Amino acid sequence: MTIFLKMSVSVTFLRPFTRFLVPFTLHRKRNLYSTVLQRCMSSKIPAVSYPDKESISPPEQLELDGWKTTMKSSVQEEGVPPVSSNKDEDTQAATRELIEMWRLLGKEVPENITEEQLKAIMECASKSSKKKYLKFLYIKEKLKKAKQIKKERKAAAKEEAKQAMLLETTEEDKQQNFPFLRLWDRRINTAMNWKGAQAMQFGQPLVFDMDFDNYMKPKELQNAVSQLLESEGWNRRNVDPFHIYFCNLKIDGAYQRELVKRYGEKWDKLLLTATEKSHVDLFPKDNIIYLTADSPNVMTTFKHDRIYVIGSFVDKNMQPGISLAKAKRLKLATECLPLDKYLQWDIGTKNLTLDQMMRILLCLKNTGSWEEALKFVPKRKHTGYLEISQHSQAFVNRLKKAKSFNSFPKGSYVHTEKVA
Amino acid sequence: MTFLLSGIQSFSKLWKCSPCFGLSPGHSCCFFLSDYCGIRNQQRWFSLKSMSPQSTKAGNASIAKARYLRKGDEGSNKQVSSDSPHLFAAGAAKKRSQMNPQSNDQVLSPLKNISIQLPTKPLNSKEWDKLKEDFKGKANFENWISSQMAHCHSPIDVAKSLLAWVAAKNNGIVGYNLLVRYLYLCVFHKQTSEVIDVYEIMRARYKRLESGGYSLLIRGLMHSDRWREALMLLEDIKKVMTPSIKNYNDCIQGALLHQDVNTAWNLYQELLGHDLIPMLETLKAFFDFGKDIKDDHYSSKLLDILLYLRNNQLYPGESFAHSIKTWFESGQCSCCGKTMESIHLSPEEYEFLKRKIIRDVIDGGDQYKKTTPQELKRFENFVKSCPPFDIVIDGLNVAKMFPKARESQVLLDVVSQLAKQNLQLLILGRKHMLTQRFRWRKDEMEKVQKQASCFFADDISEDDPFLLYATLNSGNHCKFITKDLMRDHKACLPDIKTQRLFFKWQQGHQLAIINRFPGSKITFQHILTYDTVVQTTGDSWHIPYDEDLVERYSYEVPTKWLCLHRKT
Repeated sequence: MTIFLKMSVSVTFLRPFTRFLVPFTLHRKRNLYSTVLQRCMSSKIPAVSYPDKESISPPEQLELDGWKTTMKSSVQEEGVPPVSSNKDEDTQAATRELIEMWRLLGKEVPENITEEQLKAIMECASKSSKKKYLKFLYIKEKLKKAKQIKKERKAAAKEEAKQAMLLETTEEDKQQNFPFLRLWDRRINTAMNWKGAQAMQFGQPLVFDMDFDNYMKPKELQNAVSQLLESEGWNRRNVDPFHIYFCNLKIDGAYQRELVKRYGEKWDKLLLTATEKSHVDLFPKDNIIYLTADSPNVMTTFKHDRIYVIGSFVDKNMQPGISLAKAKRLKLATECLPLDKYLQWDIGTKNLTLDQMMRILLCLKNTGSWEEALKFVPKRKHTGYLEISQHSQAFVNRLKKAKSFNSFPKGSYVHTEKVA
Repeated sequence: MTFLLSGIQSFSKLWKCSPCFGLSPGHSCCFFLSDYCGIRNQQRWFSLKSMSPQSTKAGNASIAKARYLRKGDEGSNKQVSSDSPHLFAAGAAKKRSQMNPQSNDQVLSPLKNISIQLPTKPLNSKEWDKLKEDFKGKANFENWISSQMAHCHSPIDVAKSLLAWVAAKNNGIVGYNLLVRYLYLCVFHKQTSEVIDVYEIMRARYKRLESGGYSLLIRGLMHSDRWREALMLLEDIKKVMTPSIKNYNDCIQGALLHQDVNTAWNLYQELLGHDLIPMLETLKAFFDFGKDIKDDHYSSKLLDILLYLRNNQLYPGESFAHSIKTWFESGQCSCCGKTMESIHLSPEEYEFLKRKIIRDVIDGGDQYKKTTPQELKRFENFVKSCPPFDIVIDGLNVAKMFPKARESQVLLDVVSQLAKQNLQLLILGRKHMLTQRFRWRKDEMEKVQKQASCFFADDISEDDPFLLYATLNSGNHCKFITKDLMRDHKACLPDIKTQRLFFKWQQGHQLAIINRFPGSKITFQHILTYDTVVQTTGDSWHIPYDEDLVERYSYEVPTKWLCLHRKT
């Protein structure tokens, strides 16, 4: 127990100095020396017996300051830090050490930082943004480590199982008859590709409007791309897939670059249509329905002869009305999901993620049942399904609530409230 | 110089903003003080007056009188609803939230039960060992106990014994985290010699520290003779990040403590250079120090601080106001009858604000967000075709003020009452108000349209931006009626300066309905005619300040003033 503690502590305090290898070797001797000295001292301490706990004895007073001498005389950086001619490098080193000290303090910062990450930290405008980014890196690092450990554990288990199998030679290898070779994954992929090709020819179009890249921060854009990948995956696995269109996708724009990066070489083999053109150029205007949570019109049924447009837009800093403004500009019909009609809404925004939208639409397309489709709305956002008769009552209550601002000023929410 | 504290009241005749106004004769309190009795009476000067109108009826009779009353209405000056403070008065929002039963304050979760009794006197290593055995948390024991001690401000000897125990176990090494918490306790208990010891240790062991450690050292060293080294630490912080206003505050206070005025001012300039807003304590320290200095240069800098408060619409707290008062030499007080600065914007400011509202609030880079270009055109033409308005009404907001009454009825009441005074009215609404329904009766809406110009926006458009535009476009005399605080529109404005301009204009032009009984005469809250801001006329200063016990929201202004007058 004590040994373990000793180890861990010495590791933590040696770590910051591993970079300064040359002085470090010198220190080590000195450290050893001081350690020995300290041992002598500390070995004396228990020798002092305390006859009474209550009386505070003078030796104890002495003992209280003992640690200061060792702390002062122990390892330290000799002289001043190397004066670098380059101010930028100096800042970099300073930042690195700041992070190291934060780590010693038990703050949420990563152990290892790459040069690029360090530069990104230095570019952060404020202290809080620095801390946020560091926390992000810290969590990322933790997850990576946990994954690594799990992987090792699995490998070990596998190894064990293999050993056990080798020992178990009691069962002789019987000739067995199988109808298929084990090529399931490949078969499934082929089948899905056939279905995808069919959807490209005859499927109902579903448009993702990619014209929001200038409203998003890089982080949000990455999230949006993740959601697109997810949606495309759900679509591919469906019985009757949509024919997906990525409209307004700028060649070599941030969106395209991120998509190509994530898809790799599969990007060119995807069974969907990516185009620079707008959805109003590809389809007749009257057939387009733009889906947006801000829409005043509620979607009642899924229409198989319409083209639904989803804005591929992750909006973390609450800019309401952007997609509605786009639809208004192009004079398109808009609709929102009847969430209030079917669900007892509790918390969270009514903006759903792209993959949730995709699954809801696929479900509607195949079954036409709203209860079934709205299973994909996160459970945390609502407290359950509404009876339809209840809905009208709830609606009236909500209207009443919206009007009763006699004792407090009207907030903007009255305006943005969606009439479901 | 003289000073006097009182709520400055305002009143002016309706719709005519008299450019100058004096204080009402119903002035509440004013003391005559001479140099030697100033001290004795100070407490009374700064005694807190509770904000509730009932308790201050005597002192604030004038406030009630100052409430907005129309000419023909003076006879029926009945009890004005005393439970609704002015929309922009400090503490009003707090009151509103208390009146609103839906908002039940979240009870703060109590501190986690400490499973272990924190030691009150130093323990020896055996006792620490035992305590560690008793500890059943997941956390690292040393870490946990030290943070608990810091939290409960244990005596430093106890903390020191913990460090001694840890050091004895680890070859005399104490981790940085324990060291920082110990330092926190030393700084908290103002044990300067211990702070210096820890400072030496940290310097010996670590090349650089982190912001928390630096901040504690700066705070601790500032009271010692080695305070100049704290300035070096500030330089170290600057290498990586902008120091906090607390760091600057500590350094400036330290410099003043050691009579180094130049350093203090330099640090203050540097702080402003970083676009930071200094803590009010920092500014207070300059004033407190100024008591003993007879130096014109220093005085002019203090007056600069007051101007800084003015330009950034900052208000001192009660004790800061006190410091300002003591710095101004006391003299004879005379009841101050000075006119406060008007709330009205200068023509240039007005034009500037109008431009910004159109560009950022209505247009906002995308006209389709809040309206459509066609609608905007329609509205502009409509406004051009009408004479300038006197009052612009937010139809929906006014109509929905009294949930029990029918919307169109309430709107009609308000409109007819205002129309009797021959005012040019504009009502902004949405198209759905015109469709015959239970709550919007057609006949009543027709009567409304006879008495006022109306503009109905699309149902999915925003009506507030039109309200702002129509009011601004009609000129400085035009007011608007809504209870909306317009905070979301204020937030659309690009910078703080413009937002302040907007707020100033809003205070001077927004009417809010205060009576709660539809059917009776509708009364409005009086409009502030003066600007609540630090102001000077050369030989007098008027400084609004925040009372200690009144919580002020960002869209409210203080109601208490410090009035300083030069003796002639």
